Amino acid sequence: MNATVARLTARSLLGRRRALLLLALPAILLLLAGLSRALAGREDTTTVGMLGGFALGTVIPLLGLIAGTGAIGPEIDDGSIVYLLSKPLSRSSIVTTKAAVAMAVVTVFGAVPTLLAGLVLSGTGARLAVGFGLAALVAGVAYAALFLLLAVLTRQAVVVGLLYALIWESLVGNFVPGAQALSVQQWALSITERVLGTSTAARLDVDAAVGVTTGCVLLAVVIVGGTWYAGRRLRSLRLTSDD
Amino acid sequence: MPDPSAKGVIHDLGYRHYEGERLGRAQIVRALYVDSAKGAFGIGRSAKSKVMPMLVLGAICLPAVIVAVVASVTHLDRLPGGYTSYLVKTQALIMVFVAGQAPASVSRDLRFHVMSLYFSRPLQRVDYVAAKLAALATAVFVLCALPLTILFAGALLAKLPLSEQLPDFSRSVGGAVLLALVLAGIGLVIAAITPRRGLGVAAIITVLAVLAGVHGIVQGIATEQGNDSVAGYAGLLSPFSLVHGVQHSTLGADTVYPASPPGMLGAWVFAAVLVAVVGGAFGALLLRYRGVRI
Amino acid sequence: MAVLRLDRVSRWFGNVVAVNDVTMEIGPGVTGLLGPNGAGKSTLIHMMGGFLAPSSGTVELDGEGVWRNERIYSRIGLVPEREAMYDVVTGWEFVLANARLHRLPDPEAAARRALATVEMTEAQDRDISTYSKGMKQRVKMATALVHDPPLLLLDEPFNGMDPRQRLHLMDLLRAMGDEGRTVLFSSHILEEVEQLAQRIQVVVAGRHAASGGFREIRQLMTERPHQYAIRSDDDRALAAAIIAQPSASGVQLLARGDVVSATGRRDTSSALHVQATDFAAFVRVLPRLAQEHGIRLYEVTPTDESLESVFSYLVAR
Repeated sequence: MNATVARLTARSLLGRRRALLLLALPAILLLLAGLSRALAGREDTTTVGMLGGFALGTVIPLLGLIAGTGAIGPEIDDGSIVYLLSKPLSRSSIVTTKAAVAMAVVTVFGAVPTLLAGLVLSGTGARLAVGFGLAALVAGVAYAALFLLLAVLTRQAVVVGLLYALIWESLVGNFVPGAQALSVQQWALSITERVLGTSTAARLDVDAAVGVTTGCVLLAVVIVGGTWYAGRRLRSLRLTSDD
Repeated sequence: MPDPSAKGVIHDLGYRHYEGERLGRAQIVRALYVDSAKGAFGIGRSAKSKVMPMLVLGAICLPAVIVAVVASVTHLDRLPGGYTSYLVKTQALIMVFVAGQAPASVSRDLRFHVMSLYFSRPLQRVDYVAAKLAALATAVFVLCALPLTILFAGALLAKLPLSEQLPDFSRSVGGAVLLALVLAGIGLVIAAITPRRGLGVAAIITVLAVLAGVHGIVQGIATEQGNDSVAGYAGLLSPFSLVHGVQHSTLGADTVYPASPPGMLGAWVFAAVLVAVVGGAFGALLLRYRGVRI
Repeated sequence: MAVLRLDRVSRWFGNVVAVNDVTMEIGPGVTGLLGPNGAGKSTLIHMMGGFLAPSSGTVELDGEGVWRNERIYSRIGLVPEREAMYDVVTGWEFVLANARLHRLPDPEAAARRALATVEMTEAQDRDISTYSKGMKQRVKMATALVHDPPLLLLDEPFNGMDPRQRLHLMDLLRAMGDEGRTVLFSSHILEEVEQLAQRIQVVVAGRHAASGGFREIRQLMTERPHQYAIRSDDDRALAAAIIAQPSASGVQLLARGDVVSATGRRDTSSALHVQATDFAAFVRVLPRLAQEHGIRLYEVTPTDESLESVFSYLVAR
């Protein structure tokens, strides 16, 4: 971990246009939560729909994409990563620091607002806010690690990541039952299921494809393994010219 | 002996100056249009740039092929799902296509500051914008219309009556035209203001996905409240529901979403908003390119 | 003292051989890496800087390999070719960040020194995005100097610089070389290399074509005839005497206005153009000939001593 790398990464991640996107997502989530609570009152099914569907299904992956690729992608693309690589600094510490910054960004702009939205929607009861907040936290961290690795592997990381998120998580996941076990969303959902308890989860139709232990293990594998592998790949990064 | 006062000599290397006919502005626009439209599918570009569009094209046609085959083999009496709902169900793929290909069309020219090469020809800014917009709209239209055509062909092969199928098919194709225009407009505007690689893609998909999500939520809340008119107008929030609303109320297609634009006023509002979105996108692009330094 | 040793280094990308069996030793002083575009200079510098692994062969700095060896960067200063830097920070912040990344004991002082060396102190508090190309290049130099490295690698450092900045950078590099640092810079512009480098490594099409001072390189290529332009008071008689010598292979009498001297100016007098195969013997025999025949020599100029001719010869080979 390196403070200077962290500072530089944070400065470029939170630069104007990216910051706009990063802020817009939780703002819209909270706005909708407020609207729903004001108009529809406390409705657990609505809460599950909004937190599980919109927050966990759309906002968190998008934040993971923007933060994960933004933490290293632009520097590799325009070649300014050479300033980090030409220092007596281990590649894995560069990647770990960047991953940490991306994960922090996703947590602040994604997991915390999800928790807040849950509180707005359903108050402190029913444990929905905590359940989905935790799920958002781990899913966001996992997505950030995954997309950071993707950004080290290819310059087309954003498009590839999108295709993965879409085609894998929604289409294949819906049609191929076994594939659901390999979805970050499902792993995160298993934590929600555990927090809610079996009866509430069954009532609200929160059903993860994997158990909580499997989910946590797989999440840990993705987070740690992804970051480690990204560090390895950074050692052999080729500094090419534009395009 | 050469003249000592001679300044210099230009040698004749066989270079011939072109004195013939030069094609005009219209042909330039047409060439840019064709090149950009083909480039959206990676045709005329590198092999890598073909992967994503072809993958998405295949993915969006696959279910249509399956439905068509199933319909003709099992002799169904109507197509499962119908035409209009097909594009709604595959909207994620269409979103990804626009998010990927809009930046591929305009961001690179801006990022590498080559706009001066375009405008030093008899090409006006409005020509560039119109050509790019039309090209991406054409590409998105092809993406949407191809699976619809496959469904139609399947229906005909299954010997379903033409008189039933043709109106539905035509309406859905009309909807595809509108959808293509709206998405291309939104996509290009966002791509033109985010020249950095990767950011444009992320921004477009964020905007489209969030709008779709917001629409779903607002419509859900309103329907549950029993407030049908709000639920109907919620369709204005997302490009897909906007086009669908126009398709339903103006073209008469079947409704897919839980709520549709309420009444005559709703129909007019939706149509007006659609035109405003496309026109606004065109105007925004013109403004953006007016400020481009040569 | 830092000595960079490349031993039979090759690098290929699929079927394309970018660097072909290059062996060279870069020692203290200023060395110029010269070659046309696409000759493999950037690839070589990337390998020297540890950013690319050689497909075969070794690259060593003072006996230590540079590939996948992060510690060695405290001894290498790199000025990359590409312009991009962290646009959102100021010049000062950027150089300071580089100093901190090098774990220097006093990063602020080092950053201040480096920025003063490149004369960027007044502009240091502006965002890098507002800098001109030359200013960005100078900040790049500052980041390469901030940790006082014994080896400096510069990839096309004079690209886009105006003449004043070029002179300043040349003075700086010359001073570095005089201090005993090893400075290697690449260029495809002959005048830059000629003016600055003490030693030249010529790379053409991936191969190491020549090394040495440019005069030494020239003298080594004795197969190619040397060209001289001679002005005297009796060209024809001198021509007759010269052609009788075995060291000359051709003479040409050029009338008024035909001669273009080495500086490119047109000469208004007539001159003798001599092609000498054995230049050492020729330069000894010429004064003797002139004296024997009573001819006064006004001017004897080698017309192809510049790096230009060396270079074109190597390229055409």
